[in-house]
Amino acid sequence: MSVSSERVQGAAAEASPGKTIIPPVSLRLSRTATWSNIETKPVYTPGDIDGDYDQKLGNPGEYPFTRGAFPGMYRTRMWTLRNIVGYGTAADTRRGIDMARKAGQAGFNVVPDCVSGVGTDPDHPVMQAEVGLDGCSIACVDDLDVLLDGIDPTETDVAWHYTYNLYPMAVAHARRHGYDLAKLQGSHQPDHLKYNLDGGGDKFMSPALSHRMAIDVIEYAVRHTPKWALGYPQMYNIRERGITPATEIGLGLTIAATTFQDLAERGVSVDEVAPSLAWVSAVDIDVFEEVAKFRALRRMWARMVKERFGGQDPRGMRLRIAVHTSGRSLVYQQPLNNLTRTALETFAAIAGGVQSVEACTYDEPVGIPTHEARELSVRQQLILAHEVGAARTADPFGGSYYVEWLTDKIEAEATAIQADLERRGLVKSVADGYLESIMDEYNLRREEEIQAGERIIIGLNSFVPENEPEPRRFTFDAAPVRDYIKEFTAKKQRRDPVRLGAAMKAVVDALHGGSNTQPAMIEAFSLGATVGEMSGILRLGSGMPYDPYLVLESPFDLERGRYLGEPSQIDG
Amino acid sequence: MQLGMLNFHSGYNEEASVSETGRPLRCALGMLASDKHNKGLRVIAHLLRDEGVEVIYLGEYNTARTIAQAVVDEDADLLGISAFTGNYVAKLEELMSELRKVGAGDVPVMLGGLIHADDEPTLRAAGVDAVFGPRTGRHDVLDYVRQKQAEVAGAA
Repeated sequence: MSVSSERVQGAAAEASPGKTIIPPVSLRLSRTATWSNIETKPVYTPGDIDGDYDQKLGNPGEYPFTRGAFPGMYRTRMWTLRNIVGYGTAADTRRGIDMARKAGQAGFNVVPDCVSGVGTDPDHPVMQAEVGLDGCSIACVDDLDVLLDGIDPTETDVAWHYTYNLYPMAVAHARRHGYDLAKLQGSHQPDHLKYNLDGGGDKFMSPALSHRMAIDVIEYAVRHTPKWALGYPQMYNIRERGITPATEIGLGLTIAATTFQDLAERGVSVDEVAPSLAWVSAVDIDVFEEVAKFRALRRMWARMVKERFGGQDPRGMRLRIAVHTSGRSLVYQQPLNNLTRTALETFAAIAGGVQSVEACTYDEPVGIPTHEARELSVRQQLILAHEVGAARTADPFGGSYYVEWLTDKIEAEATAIQADLERRGLVKSVADGYLESIMDEYNLRREEEIQAGERIIIGLNSFVPENEPEPRRFTFDAAPVRDYIKEFTAKKQRRDPVRLGAAMKAVVDALHGGSNTQPAMIEAFSLGATVGEMSGILRLGSGMPYDPYLVLESPFDLERGRYLGEPSQIDG
Repeated sequence: MQLGMLNFHSGYNEEASVSETGRPLRCALGMLASDKHNKGLRVIAHLLRDEGVEVIYLGEYNTARTIAQAVVDEDADLLGISAFTGNYVAKLEELMSELRKVGAGDVPVMLGGLIHADDEPTLRAAGVDAVFGPRTGRHDVLDYVRQKQAEVAGAA
């Protein structure tokens, strides 16, 4: 089913080789459906909505929380401005954090690189050139020492875009510095299943192991670090990978429901878990659809927690939402247009009543954000707060005939999707490729719409700039990374091989014995275990190879509980 | 090393139509090292299958060595790499070297993704046959692949 230019309606033509370009026509209505293909009418009237206000909407801060999680919303507490920082070594990123602070940013979100973030060490022979390119290398507790130097995690809330290895490292770090775990603040994103879904495949973690790690960390965190928040489900990556807002809700609620069920089997009630969770979402450019999505999501979450899982604590029913604006919605060509896009997306998030916002920079499609772009991104949120008045009243779109209709519509779609996925089984739907095929279909359809002119994206298939100068690129000095890698390797030999070996054996024993892996992982990380080693032994314990790249042998004798020294390379 | 065949729902034509004039083009598609943003790669895989290309989908998290070996093992006529992290020049140089080591140095390599135009001359000098950066589209890729198809069919 290939699309040729003959299929295109209207005045589209191949203006230049390579793509279908819509000739520059000034303003016209190019599409009547939302970005997720919900068809809309020219006008919505009272006849389009029904239901009782208290039952369907409620005031903000009241069940079912459609209009907002808190009564005062932004009048009581503004959303947290959290833009992400992360590149190079912990020392590089720490400097980035300090610069962001000066530019007006209050919250910190640290992004690990794609090496450490999936559990590969920076000194892996195949991966050294990748270290620190797209995030911060955080591979052992010493890296947290550098990153958090002078930052008290019981007073400053750092959010980590990091899965199962981060939490035990953070606890080990807190213990090392004598911080009270009951006061430990911060958050991370325990869901590793998203990596099985967003291009991570299962070379690193089987879906079953990914899910197990999430359950273990959630159980441990709600019991031992009550102020630590869990960005879960983390739907941003999956949304960007290729799903609609309705599927975001349907799949995310499936993840939550499955998790509540699994935790209930361990004696953890929904009231113990739900208050610590915050949904991590994307916000795309279709403003009304995203606002409707946030409203439908809050309502569905509240009803699920209360009516299905018997939750009694309103803090579990009222869903907090953390948002990152969609990177995928941004365009490489004429990147300054992305300031318009991110501003509107951020506006949609605020109108949708979220609790924290990470906005993309305008140069997101190009590479790591430059400091100038980062500053403009922060200013955007400040303009929305101070000039636009986006925060002065809760749920400003509430009562709009269109938005109430759209909220109901998205809820109906999401309900059907959730029912389907729960019937199929969450882990199974990841493992057997069903979810991946949904995303493939979405991406193909989106691509066809772009080709056919049914989805106009300025700069991409319409008003394409000619002879545009190439964008400036973010650069940073790579020498510190090389020094860091050398030291990383060297310090592995300074660890206590017996204690470390025993601690790693304890992790695998916990994995096999069905007990919570966190205590053993915390202990091992405090003895200097690295993320590559931890992920490696978890894989070995699950019958997978130690090294996904099949280059390294495990440096542990797990039977006897010994660290054997530098891992040898598999000859090949 | 895993070789996956793409699995798409019904609604899309899954049958590869073999070229009338000869055998179909065999194209391996993959990503290197920690690069995992594979939406574009999967869309290209589907488009190529629609063109009658036999796609060998290598996916993500590969080393230069395993990709080079797959090209040989699968008798690929063409290799497509998708890259988004900033060190694609070094990675492609290493890949070209590995391809030569296993005797596949004559297999053309096309590179797509977040490729900055300033890097194109270096990539071409390293031996990359075609570069499809963010300003190109599906027709550029398909025109190039059809050209390769014709070469393979002609040589059959």
